[in-house]
Amino acid sequence: MKPSFLKKYGLHAILLPAALLWIGPLLWILVTSVKTRVEVFDASSGLFPQNFIWDNYPAAMSVAPFGTYMMNSFLVTGGILVCQIVTISLAAYAFARLTFPFKNLIFSLFLLQIMFPIYAIFLTNFLTVRELGLMNSLPAMIVPFVASGYGTFMLRQAFRQVPTELSDAAKLDGCGHLSTLWHVYLPLVRPTLIAFAIISIVTHWNDYMWPLLVTNSESVRTLPIGLGLLAKSDSGADWTRLMAATVIVISPLLLLFVIFQRRFVDSFMHAGLK
Amino acid sequence: MTSTKLPISRRHFLQVGAGAITAAGMLGTTPLFASGTDVVKLQFMYPVGVSGDINRIVTGMINNFNASHEKVQVEPIYAGSYDNTEQKVMTSLGVGETPATWLPINSALQTFLGMDALADVTAMAKADDIYQDFLPGFLSICESEEKLYGLPFQCSTPVLYYNKDLFAKAGINKAPDTWTELMETAKALTIRNGADVSQWGLTFGGGWHDWIFESFVRQNALVPWQKDKVMFDAPEAIDALEFWVKMVKEGVMPSASTWQGSANDFMAGRTAMLYHSTGSLANLRKSSPFEVGVAFMPKNKTYGATIGGGPILMAKNQPDAHLQASWTFARWMTNTQNQTHWCKETGYIAARKSSWEGEELKAFANEVPAAKVALDQAAYAGAFLQVPGYHKVREYLKSALDRTLAGEIDPTSALKDATKQSNREIERLMRRRA
Repeated sequence: MKPSFLKKYGLHAILLPAALLWIGPLLWILVTSVKTRVEVFDASSGLFPQNFIWDNYPAAMSVAPFGTYMMNSFLVTGGILVCQIVTISLAAYAFARLTFPFKNLIFSLFLLQIMFPIYAIFLTNFLTVRELGLMNSLPAMIVPFVASGYGTFMLRQAFRQVPTELSDAAKLDGCGHLSTLWHVYLPLVRPTLIAFAIISIVTHWNDYMWPLLVTNSESVRTLPIGLGLLAKSDSGADWTRLMAATVIVISPLLLLFVIFQRRFVDSFMHAGLK
Repeated sequence: MTSTKLPISRRHFLQVGAGAITAAGMLGTTPLFASGTDVVKLQFMYPVGVSGDINRIVTGMINNFNASHEKVQVEPIYAGSYDNTEQKVMTSLGVGETPATWLPINSALQTFLGMDALADVTAMAKADDIYQDFLPGFLSICESEEKLYGLPFQCSTPVLYYNKDLFAKAGINKAPDTWTELMETAKALTIRNGADVSQWGLTFGGGWHDWIFESFVRQNALVPWQKDKVMFDAPEAIDALEFWVKMVKEGVMPSASTWQGSANDFMAGRTAMLYHSTGSLANLRKSSPFEVGVAFMPKNKTYGATIGGGPILMAKNQPDAHLQASWTFARWMTNTQNQTHWCKETGYIAARKSSWEGEELKAFANEVPAAKVALDQAAYAGAFLQVPGYHKVREYLKSALDRTLAGEIDPTSALKDATKQSNREIERLMRRRA
């Protein structure tokens, strides 16, 4: 009896505190977002607010057009992801399965791109975007990121693990490169694709400096810029409204994760099993 | 086999790629600018330093401006923090698409002058009431060698905030007025539980403590910089830092803090006095569960304060008609009525004498005496560290202050080091400029 009990609940004993650790900050954000400003720093008023003040939400929303910002964030993040998936799967396929001159050199150059911090290429990117005439538009935030050295690298490694017998079989069935990629490779590396998608979404959803640099109008700006209005304060952050805005900014990602949670976890497990 | 297939997939690749980019292109809404008319279009880049509502206030002011000026249309561009704004303006300068006007922190004046980016507006100002009506200290933040490059718009200084409840509890009925009193008051207000301090007497807003430090040096009757060098190793500066060290050694002040953290500590009653920006007034008043007192920073040889915040600067590289329009805009943003409005809404100090003489601000000063304190102290205020490469110089100075307060090094050698490093950096930039 005993060992099975331990087995059953032992894991929970470890996971529960870990879960609390993870959920703690989120809960704190939520609780702070419904407090009054005085309650935030008054130790005697306890962790929970006396009354739930929902006013912080409209007050935070009034600082900037958050609806537009959210729409833009979706378009930019989604646009980048779609373009990236297309470019990295094609590039990764070429690097993994084709032979062409200077393949290794070109691949090294791709890897080099991962090592450059984004700030190092801000000005050149800025010039490119301006030459393309895209300043102050949504594509200005998408175009510099449509290719990803990191994604290409990740996917190339995954493609190389797919047995060549499978692609040979597809070839025998009359598949060209594109159909082999579509029918054989991509389904088999779905875990890697999902892992990359998560990284890409989180990175670009939260990006602040680049969008700030290339946009001027409110109609094309993204959520982190709205958040910056409340966070970057000479006067000490406006905690209650900042937390309310934070809830709004993170909730789509959180929701996405909760909905697709099983998928994500499954795909990571498969990735681990390989 | 492979080689025969390759061209096809490459073509596919191009098609898909082009499709993706076109699709991305259609997502954007590129704003269309009317052209060909005689309306002058200007951009104004500004940071938001005090609270989120400022964005709305600035946009509202600019909408009013646009509504009342047929020939000039200004596009407000929020550009993040002061540092972000500077980066954005410099990037635009780098590609030759300078905004007509922008609002940097005043320390950046020499940096922009070094880039030959600023229009000299002295003549326009002289033809106007600028030299008569602006508070001289505030006007000085946009001056270099007797030439004017902008108009002061959002000005702040550090002030001494104190917790009136804690003062009453300790039986103290007035804010300290001299450094000696500051030390005594801080001692009386520090509460220890054994080795732990449960309530500090005094805290400086960290992160900007170099700004507060300059105020202390000014209270020793020295401005520790000129436009091409710093003098952090002058006796007046060393004496100021020695005073700080004494307060840390007496255990009445923490040796380090952060800008946000110090304000939080004050609101939570963990420090009885706080040096922070006048810009924090509204937030501290609204968020503290006790009555907040505001006083002059105590004097030593004299009162002294450093001006934070910044002026509206105008670009040199623009046609005359645009510069004229930029001036109209900057002049309008800083007119008596708008400065009054701005001061009441934000806590920044109105830069015009006529604003303070008006009924509206008189009534406001009665209602919020703290605003009056900030104004009165402004008589002793001057610009903050206007040297080339001020970012690095600030870091050298802050590092010297931090290391000294942490007890790693003595004040004299720390400030000598900082001075040497700073001047070397300034000389390097000046050489490059020449």
